[in-house]
Amino acid sequence: MNAFLVLWRREMTGYFYSPVAYASLTFFLLVMGMTFYFLASVLADGVPGIGVMNLMFGSPFYWMTQMVVVPLLTMRLFAEERRTGTLETLLTAPVSDAAVVGAKFAGVYSFYLVMWMPTLLFLAVLHGLSAEIPPFDPGAVAGGYIGAALTGALFLAIGLVCSLTTSNQIIAAITCFALMILFFFSGFLEFISFHPAAVAVADYLSPHRHMIEFSRGAIDSRAVVFYLGATYFFLFSATRILESRHWK
Amino acid sequence: MITVSHLTKTFPGRVAVNDLSFEVGHSEVVGFLGPNGSGKTTTMRILAGYLPASAGVVKVAGFDVARHPLEVRKRIGYLPENCPLYPDMRVDEYLRFRAALKGVPRPRRRERIAEVKELCGLTDSGGRIIGQLSKGYRQRVGLAETLVHDPELLILDEPTIGLDPNQIRQVRQLIHELGRRHTILLSTHILSEVEATCRRVLIIKQGRIVAADATDRLLRHMKGMARITAEIKAPRDLLAAELGTWPDLTDLAIETDGEWLRLSFHCPRAQDPRSRLFTWIASRGWLLRDLHLEAGTLEDLFVSLTNDAPAALREPGS
Repeated sequence: MNAFLVLWRREMTGYFYSPVAYASLTFFLLVMGMTFYFLASVLADGVPGIGVMNLMFGSPFYWMTQMVVVPLLTMRLFAEERRTGTLETLLTAPVSDAAVVGAKFAGVYSFYLVMWMPTLLFLAVLHGLSAEIPPFDPGAVAGGYIGAALTGALFLAIGLVCSLTTSNQIIAAITCFALMILFFFSGFLEFISFHPAAVAVADYLSPHRHMIEFSRGAIDSRAVVFYLGATYFFLFSATRILESRHWK
Repeated sequence: MITVSHLTKTFPGRVAVNDLSFEVGHSEVVGFLGPNGSGKTTTMRILAGYLPASAGVVKVAGFDVARHPLEVRKRIGYLPENCPLYPDMRVDEYLRFRAALKGVPRPRRRERIAEVKELCGLTDSGGRIIGQLSKGYRQRVGLAETLVHDPELLILDEPTIGLDPNQIRQVRQLIHELGRRHTILLSTHILSEVEATCRRVLIIKQGRIVAADATDRLLRHMKGMARITAEIKAPRDLLAAELGTWPDLTDLAIETDGEWLRLSFHCPRAQDPRSRLFTWIASRGWLLRDLHLEAGTLEDLFVSLTNDAPAALREPGS
């Protein structure tokens, strides 16, 4: 447990020294700021029947940030250690493979959550400027952020596995991006096939639809289970991949 | 401290370590020698628990490496080849991180880090960024890191590679001191280093042990062997044919130097063949311009055991 905490701290602080992390952060806040601008102008026009949080978490901009930021944050996790050879010193320290994977994930996930913090300011601004009180529903706010936390966890876990399979950060980033795209568009399967099974699968998988639901404040336990389960599955796979060097 | 029995490691299409067995006792300093690609690094990686064995059992301090990897890792300090480090960290930051990771209790960490820095000559370099250090300093950081949790066993894969002669001497001195309290398995290509620091030597070739004995016994054995060098002007084939019939002569090599042939071979020192060689050459009317005898060194042993030329020096010390 102690080793896990030590590694987690090292991973998380590592991001605050890394230019790639700051570039990701800047990009993220820029795009989210733009989203906020559109959101504010829609509200100013007084278009009725639109959930405020839907505009923030259900927009294409949200997905754009995920697709860019997640590969950038996860690509170096293992690929860099493999390239420089420090994976060997890391894995011969008295730490279990599961603790290494857990700590790396916890590190990048913490940074991801910290990245979302400044967006709370948007809400504070909105709250301060708005005549109506409150301009948004607290349930929807919580739902939106829970959704961002859940989809982020899954995508970061996918990125971690991608980084583990190569010593080249670029390959890790591109593989991660490709898998995210594949997953994202599996939610639009119903546009290709009208088969009831395809529609059902799309309905269950679609991260886009999940986010729209979450940001309405409707937290569907099926979706929560799906994200937590899938995240666990990818982290478990990562541990097995790391252990696979021991398979005879 | 280390017990390796019938260790075999295969990679797809290649046997890296082949039925290797050896033991290293407490507080022994053992030199692990072998040509490049002979399986040294693979063996050391298996000992450190980084790679699994394909067959055989490896025990460190009584723990099976395959079954209790964490117990084993707590007890060893492993310095991999090329000494990998995080280039973006500062020396102190790295040592603190590794000390914490290796479970050095917090109250002892500061003191322990100061100790290993002192030992490795890093006292004034704590604030420097690792990526900007010279190769020699990086090697010191790696060595300090392997020592930071005061392990019982040190596994050092070529710790002096890339160092200048002064630094090599310092590292040798350091290993000598560490050898009083720690068990050390050390791989290197610098044989004078082994003669100076290691009580025992293991020589492997193609994943098998070809020699394992106390360094001084091997040296004594080698001192009983002599290397004869001579420069002769003579027809090469006649010379080779004649020498081929001489008993007790091994590792014969003939090189051409203009019109001269430079010839060297090993033979037991007691049967000094110099006068016999001289009379024979004189009787043929050939010319001789150099003839001398040198006592054998560890290097001669290494070459004769690991070179693919036929070697009659197998099983030294027996």
